[in-house]
Amino acid sequence: MSPQGQNQGQERVTIRRLLTGVPGLDEIFGGGLPEYSFNIIAGAPGCGKTTLAHQILFASAGPERPALYFTVLGEPAIKMLRYQQQFTFFDPSKLGGSIRFVNLSQIVLDHDLGAVLDAIVTEVEACKARLVVVDSFRTVVRKAQGSATEMELQGFVQRLALHLTSWQATTFLIGEYVEGELRDNPVFTVADGLFWLYQSVERNSIVRKMQVMKLRGQESVPGLHTFRITGDGLQTFPRTFGLSAESAHLKGERRLSTGIREFDAVLGGGIPEGDSLLLAGPSGSGKSVLASQFVAEGLRQGEPGVIAIFEEIPAQYIQRAAKLGLDFDAPQKDGALKIIYIRPLDLSVDETVYEIIDAVRRIGAKRVVIDSLVGFEMALAPDFRYEFRESLYRMIGALTRLGVTVISTVEVQENFNSMGLSNFAISFLADDIVRLRYVSINGQLRKMLLVVKMRGGPHGIDMWEYKITGKGVVMGEPLRGYRGLTSGIPAPWSFESGENDPAPRHDRPPGPPESRPEGGSD
Amino acid sequence: MDTPSPSTRDLARRLLAAEAASQSAADPRAPEGVRVCEKLRIHLARFIGPDGFTALLRRALALARAEVPALHGVTEKADGSLEGLDKLAAAAPDVGGAAAFAITTHLLTLLVTFIGEPITARLMRETWPDASLDK
Repeated sequence: MSPQGQNQGQERVTIRRLLTGVPGLDEIFGGGLPEYSFNIIAGAPGCGKTTLAHQILFASAGPERPALYFTVLGEPAIKMLRYQQQFTFFDPSKLGGSIRFVNLSQIVLDHDLGAVLDAIVTEVEACKARLVVVDSFRTVVRKAQGSATEMELQGFVQRLALHLTSWQATTFLIGEYVEGELRDNPVFTVADGLFWLYQSVERNSIVRKMQVMKLRGQESVPGLHTFRITGDGLQTFPRTFGLSAESAHLKGERRLSTGIREFDAVLGGGIPEGDSLLLAGPSGSGKSVLASQFVAEGLRQGEPGVIAIFEEIPAQYIQRAAKLGLDFDAPQKDGALKIIYIRPLDLSVDETVYEIIDAVRRIGAKRVVIDSLVGFEMALAPDFRYEFRESLYRMIGALTRLGVTVISTVEVQENFNSMGLSNFAISFLADDIVRLRYVSINGQLRKMLLVVKMRGGPHGIDMWEYKITGKGVVMGEPLRGYRGLTSGIPAPWSFESGENDPAPRHDRPPGPPESRPEGGSD
Repeated sequence: MDTPSPSTRDLARRLLAAEAASQSAADPRAPEGVRVCEKLRIHLARFIGPDGFTALLRRALALARAEVPALHGVTEKADGSLEGLDKLAAAAPDVGGAAAFAITTHLLTLLVTFIGEPITARLMRETWPDASLDK
């Protein structure tokens, strides 16, 4: 149980909160479920209502807080026990004592609402139940709708809520309601809490979401939250990612080295700590190599890192890094590096972020690489791809709130007419943007990088040639003496006449990187 | 179809013995087999409903008849109670005992099949709190 926050000196009743035992759900509710509340868990068949109720009961019920689970018409209790005990939350030792099952089918079928109410109240009083579930309440109401008037039905629900609350029970009524019933159903009016579970199937993916449509007495997190059902029961992924408090981290208090001295100089001294940097470039341009060098440098400096990969398995990633002289195997074994491989095709952004945040917290990571955003998008369920941009915004915000510095790689199609920065119109989300591209010079396809943007400070404005060697990315010289470098097909530049200069000037010794005034990167 | 395990048969035997030794039986004149089934009916119907218990009992009776043909004269009523078992026990106590044992064993086996042995044992301990049912 968790007490509510400050009463701010006023005489207010303290609404204690029940901890649900469902990961993430207490945060969605705003700290737990208000004690003595009368709640409805609604949703289509198969979306997890019964499992949710069981999970809450098994987490909360005990000798001091016994629970009654009323089964009505629907899933037979014996089947319910058979399936629910497959979940890890199921504790057989609580059956019979802390959690009792009572079947109301016969009473519902043979008698009226008054008898149903009497039966429930009698059981609650005898058992002194503090937690009550009626599954499914919809069938109780459906049966009554044929014989009782709307007022009688409303009266029944009202009296039930009064009795159960008076006996200090926290109640869950489970029902296969549809959203169209929200307007006229008296149950929803009486309820203190209304939690709706959704499940949709799109191509090969199942997407599950839940929403707190109503919760009296406290502020819950609005919107649709992804959840998943596993062998441990439901796990919810609040949209706030557990980061509702103000961040204590200030960005840019120091600069993080990329592991490439010359590149650090181009960046104005390294990547500002806490920034999100977008590394955009075509296939084979060295994005993953640069990102790996960034993490390796962090490890050298004692900064743990997390790498989220989508396009190759960790063993291959480690092997590829090893060929560059970067050891990811030992740090992974030591717990300084966590490589997360995410491949399922029904993923949600929220689940991925939770996994990354969890890893960051567990190892105290300072550097995170997401390689790549295109692979990430492909791994999502189709339903989540529509909101990918919004989700990326929340993901990057969540990660940088933790004070980590994030490099996200994104593949862009090479175009010899323009130089796009990403496929998702997300450039504005990144604090810093580095663009890699191919340029055709003297019949060779060379590689070039430029810093497009550094939100927090000055950076070099040259376009630099670089190579990918056996030791990773090695910076070359600024590509001066050309015009049209950003097109990929530059022509020599003549400073004197403005005409084509037969002697390219890219081999002139470069001066120090010229800097833009601070704050002018946008 | 699951064959009753030795532990389930043993549990059935102990339930019948506990009921035979019970001083607080509702109807001491009724054979212990009838009393065991009646107690199971009252306790399990509360949990799985009268229809649920009747369905299980019907199945258990069908399985038990294969072992004790005399059970063809015993039927289940709509409320889940047995009709004819007491007459069978009165007419032939040994056969009645075997019949009660067979029904109880198959009923427990069905419960074990659906909800597992630990929960089944727990349910029996709740129904017979004073009996020593642990192995």
